[in-house]
Parts: sequence; structure tokens; C-alpha cells
Amino acid sequence: MKTFVKTAMLGAALGVGAVLAAPAAYAQDSVYAPNLSYRTGPFAATGIPLMDGQRDYILMLNERDGGVNGVKIDYDECETGYSTEKGVECYEKTKSKAIVTQPWSTGITLQVLPKTNVDKIPILAPGYGFSPMANGKVFQWAYNPPASYWDGASMLLNYVSGGDMASLKGKKIALLHLDHPYGKEPIPLFQAMAEKHGFTFLPVPVGLKEMQNQSAQWLQIRREKPDFVFMWGWGAMNAGALTEAVKTKYPMDQFIGIWWSGHDGDMKTVGEKGKGYKSISWSVPVADAPVMADIKKHVVDAGKSLIGGADDMDTVFYQRGVLISMILVEGIRVAQDHFDTKVVNAEQLRWGLENLKIDDARIAELGMTGMVGPFSTSCSNHTGHSGAWILQWDGGKFAPISDKLTADAEAISALEQVKAMEYAEANAPWPVNEACK
Amino acid sequence: MDFLHSILIKPFADMVAAPDFLMQVLWEGLVSGVLYALIALGFVLIYKSSRIFNFAQGIMVVFAALTLVGLHEKGVHALLAVPLTLLVMLMLAVAIERVVLRPLVNQPDIILFMATIGITLFLIGFGELIFGGENKVMITEQLLIPTGSYTFEPFGGFLLIEQKDLTAVIGAIALVLILLLFLNRSKMGRAIRALGDDHQAALSVGISLSTIWVLVWFIAGVIALATGIVWGARAGVSFALDVIAYKALPVLMLGGLESVTGAIVGGLAIGILEKLFELYWGQPLLGGNTETWFAFVFALVILLFRPQGLFGEKIIERI
Repeated sequence: MKTFVKTAMLGAALGVGAVLAAPAAYAQDSVYAPNLSYRTGPFAATGIPLMDGQRDYILMLNERDGGVNGVKIDYDECETGYSTEKGVECYEKTKSKAIVTQPWSTGITLQVLPKTNVDKIPILAPGYGFSPMANGKVFQWAYNPPASYWDGASMLLNYVSGGDMASLKGKKIALLHLDHPYGKEPIPLFQAMAEKHGFTFLPVPVGLKEMQNQSAQWLQIRREKPDFVFMWGWGAMNAGALTEAVKTKYPMDQFIGIWWSGHDGDMKTVGEKGKGYKSISWSVPVADAPVMADIKKHVVDAGKSLIGGADDMDTVFYQRGVLISMILVEGIRVAQDHFDTKVVNAEQLRWGLENLKIDDARIAELGMTGMVGPFSTSCSNHTGHSGAWILQWDGGKFAPISDKLTADAEAISALEQVKAMEYAEANAPWPVNEACK
Repeated sequence: MDFLHSILIKPFADMVAAPDFLMQVLWEGLVSGVLYALIALGFVLIYKSSRIFNFAQGIMVVFAALTLVGLHEKGVHALLAVPLTLLVMLMLAVAIERVVLRPLVNQPDIILFMATIGITLFLIGFGELIFGGENKVMITEQLLIPTGSYTFEPFGGFLLIEQKDLTAVIGAIALVLILLLFLNRSKMGRAIRALGDDHQAALSVGISLSTIWVLVWFIAGVIALATGIVWGARAGVSFALDVIAYKALPVLMLGGLESVTGAIVGGLAIGILEKLFELYWGQPLLGGNTETWFAFVFALVILLFRPQGLFGEKIIERI
């Protein structure tokens, strides 16, 4: 009897606790936006500044404006450690009340992609994920604005060729990539472009256990003598590659990373020796942007941020995290206006994400001038293809050194169509919205 | 025919055609091998004395390296930070013996193995709480480790040897020699070996189990710090260092879990052979990244002929 009474009391206490805790999470004036974050594990060094930027932008909006049109955003993190299995668990755990899922890994994105069709939750994967997700007719619930990996690959080729792709004929280009779905993502595009433009493409995979000891990969690069090395690295792999590049004496200005391989924290390991290393980026850090001043005032100075100090705000990844949250918030705002409602649901957010109009005027209104290029999405175009810049490490920070680059839309679009249909056929029955209604 | 040529002739022809490149491959293999041997030694010492497979060896590398860098960031001089880090590792060894191992004496091996998984998870969480997850730069010049490089031109080619790799190799060899001397010549070392041979017999002659366990976990901590400095100098110090412990598993399979000589020979063999295979067979024929599996396949082939590993003890159990 005593045990029963104790159990009943404990149950009652938990019940009351849950009811008391509920208003914050389920309040009618908030929307729940979980983030499948990775602040721990081998990729934490990459994840932490990105998550900090995402979190601080939302906190700033909640503090400064009371959210979006008076609706607070309930930002929540579910830790995945960049593990696909944990990521899927986080998706399942959060999906019942989430209006969006932000998977933060190409592996997790590929796993939850079929589930979102059933659960009707939009995937938001800015600058990552599966490149054919750009095809909104096939991937109705997936969004990867403002640029996909294939955009990045195309722009890198555009940059090293000086705009004349014919000049790449006879050249050799190596891709040093993490041996993981993320790292393999640009390979189809590079292979197609190599065939079309007559250059040799050499993929050089790096295993998870080899991230910190890439001597074999860099010996291969030394032997093959590629004209350019592109890198699709993540976490500790970036620092490992930079150390080996310095050691191999590979010309730094011929070594260019994708936007996830251009992290200030990674460059600290090589410092001055990494001078000249480049990274393509769809975002540019602007220290004096008005939005950054607002984040500093409402979040950092108020002691609500998780960053180490105000200096961390000027890094590429922190500011990219801010932009990623901006894309989500703009989706919510557009949906609110269109559906004339304040608390949008997942289906309404889906409409918002495919009707984004981030033009120069809107970027200025957001206090983000210079931080990102204008882009817009549509039912058939879920990426937006904003373009990107080349940033170069000057020994202390990354700074833009190119005009805005654009991708070869024609080549990418054709490949997106082919690969999207291949995916749909391989996962049949897969709903396709051919009419885009 | 082309296929056979690419497997049997071409790799060797490439080695002869570019001997400087072969020397570079062998050097890089030697450096990796010495480091694998070092990690494997940490496993072997604990297994020898307590029959525990220490799953926490990898995270101890991270913890030791982060403590060293963390202390230096707090303003402690690098040369003082090293003994302080060793003190932290000693405290960790004492805590593990008191809190985890002592209550589990006489429990089956699998329970003790599971306990080391628990230690791993605790150290990951505790480490992230204290040090954060960001990549940190390993102190090298402050530890008087030279960071330049030597270049040679053998056979008219090019061979580059980094001073910090050379220091790592010399340091690791010195550490191994000191350990061997300690294990074979000192009273405590003999006690560790006695405990490894027979727990009951060792206890009956007055060897203290608690003291020896603290000692071997501390020695594993010393090895972890040395490994952390060397690997951290290559690509920074972060929780990604944890995965390098897995590189020691095939070394243990190959050398035998209870053999110090096996750890050294196994580490060197795997380090050199996996580099040779990757560069001359893996990359040209299999698309590369064979280092992730080569060592395991190689160790499995050896186990077919010597199930106890190259230097492991042949265990015969009466039924």
C-alpha cells in the first residue's frame, strides 16, 4: 500500500510538473523549431559556432521584437554528435510538435527525407544536404537554400578556370573529401563536368579514423601533382588537411575548400602558414552589420549567448549560423502573411520556404547587407542558387577576394532532374508534384 | 593479364622508379606505426595487470591533451603544465581504482569492460563540460618541440622529415624503453607482471592489487599524454582524437593483448604496411581509403594461423 501511495504521489508530482512546464513549450504564441545540433563529438568544433549563431539570432528576435510578428520562436537543440542514428532519433523525438526539422548532416538528411513526406514536416538544410533537393517537384518537403553542394562545385570550377571552362582541358583536379555522404555529394557533378570539359578528376577519400592523419592522402596528392585541390572536409578533417598541406608544401592558393571547410577555428592550428588558403562561401562575415550589433546588445552583452566572447561573433561560421536562422524566420514570416495567421504550422511553413524573396532590399531591412547574396525560392526551385564568394585566409581572418560567383545553372539543373528522378524511382512509390501546385 | 600486372608488377616498378617517394612512404608509415604502438601499449599494460580491456584509452588521450592545453591557456607555463597534467592523470587513476574498479573486484571480465565504457562516457561529458568542444591548438614550441623540417634529396628526389615527427619517434622509443626497463627491472614492474600472470598467486605474496591498478592506470595516463601531444600537434586537440584509439585494435589483434613486444612490433608492422598498401595498391586499384580496413584484414589473416596473435600467450583451458 505504501508503495502504491508513493507511486501515485510521484506520478501526480510528475503530472503537475509537466502541466506547469507545458506553457513554455506549447504556448499558443510560439512555434517550435528544433535543431538537430552537434556540439559534442569529433565534429563539435565545426558545429558549436554554427549552432551558437543560429541560437543567438532567434534569441535576439525574441528579445528585440518578441519573436516574429509577436510569435516567439521556441528554439530547441537535440544533440546528435553528427551521428546519423542519433539524428534520426532526434527527428522522431521532435516531430510531433516541430514545424521544421534542421538535420545538420547529409547522412541524417538522406535518412529523414522519405519520412518527411509522410510526417509533412519541411527539412531545412541551408547549404548542405542532397543537392537534387533543389528539384521541388520531387522533393516537396526539402529545402537547401541559398546554394547546394553542386552549386559550390560548379562555382569552384568557374573560379579556377577564370570563367573559361575550356581552359581546364588537360588539367587535373583532386577532391579531398570525407568518406561520408556529405563528402561524396559533389562527385557526380565533378564527374559530369570533367567529362564535358576534358579535365581529370581525382577523388581522394579520407576516412573518419584518418581525419587527423592524412599523410597517405597527401602523399597521393604529392605523387599525382594536381593543379588544384578542392576540399569537402568537416570537423577535425579540415585542420588535419591544412596541416598536411603545409607539410607537403602544396601551394596554398591552389587549395580551396567548400563553405564547411572555411572555419576560423580550424585555421588557428596552422596560423600564418595557412596564409593564402581559400574557401568558397555563400556567406560573408560583416563585423559591423546592424544585425550583429543587435545580437551583441540583446544577447551577448546580456549574458545569454553561449559564445566565449564578442570576438567569436566575427567568425565565418557564427555569422553563417545567424543567416541560417534568418532563412527559417523569413519562411515563417512569409507563411504568416500568406495564411493570415500568427502561429504557423509545418505545412504553412513549407509554403513559406518555397516562396522566399530575399532581395537586396529585404537583406538591408534585416541589417544583413553584404552577408549573403539575394535569392528566391519557388515550388520547383528549393535552393535559390544565390551565388558565393571566394574567401581567403590572411593569417588572422577570412576576407572575400572575388566578385560574386555564379554556378552553371544549365548543367546543374539537368543533373538535378536526372538524379532526382533516379531517387524517386529507387524509392517508389514517391510522390511527385509534376504540375507544381 | 593487365590486372595481374597492376597487382604484381606495377607497384614494385613504381617503388623502384621513385625511391625517394618510397622512402617518404616508409617514413610516414614508421611515424604512424610508432604512434599506433604507443596507443596499443596503453591497452596492453592495463590488460596485463588486470585483464581489463580499457575502452577508455582513447578518451584518456583527449582528456590528457585537453588538460595540458587548458592549463597552458590559463597561464601556466608549458613545462609546468606537463607535471600538473600528470598529476591530474594520477588523480584520475586513483579515482578510477577507488570508484570503479575496487567495487568490481572478482566480477566477470565483461563487467569490468563495461565499466571502462562507463568511464569513457563520463570523461566525454566531463571533458566537454570543462574544456568545451572547440578545436584547440597543441602547444609545441612551448614544450621545446622543434617545428621545422629537414629536406633531403635521395636519388635526386625529395624526402621531407618534420622535426616534430622525428621528435615523436625518438620520444616514443625512449618512453617504450623506459617502460620496458621499469617492467623488467623494477620491483613494481615485476609486481605488475606477476599480477598479470596470476592474480591469486600475486596477492598471496603480498602484492597490493589497488596500488598496482593505480600504477598501471597512471602509466596509461602518461602514455595518453604523450600520444595526445604528438597527435594533437598534427591536427589540433579535439574530441576527434578519441577515434585514434580504434587504430590500436588491429595492433592488439596482431600483437596479442598481453604482449608489450607484440604492441611494438604490431604497431610498426601495421603502420608501415598500411601505408605501403594504400599508396601502391589501394589508391591506384581500389579508389583509396584502404587504411580504414587494411589493418583489420591483415590482423585477421594472421589470426587464422596464430589465434593468440604474433606474441600473445597460448591459453589452454581445462574443461
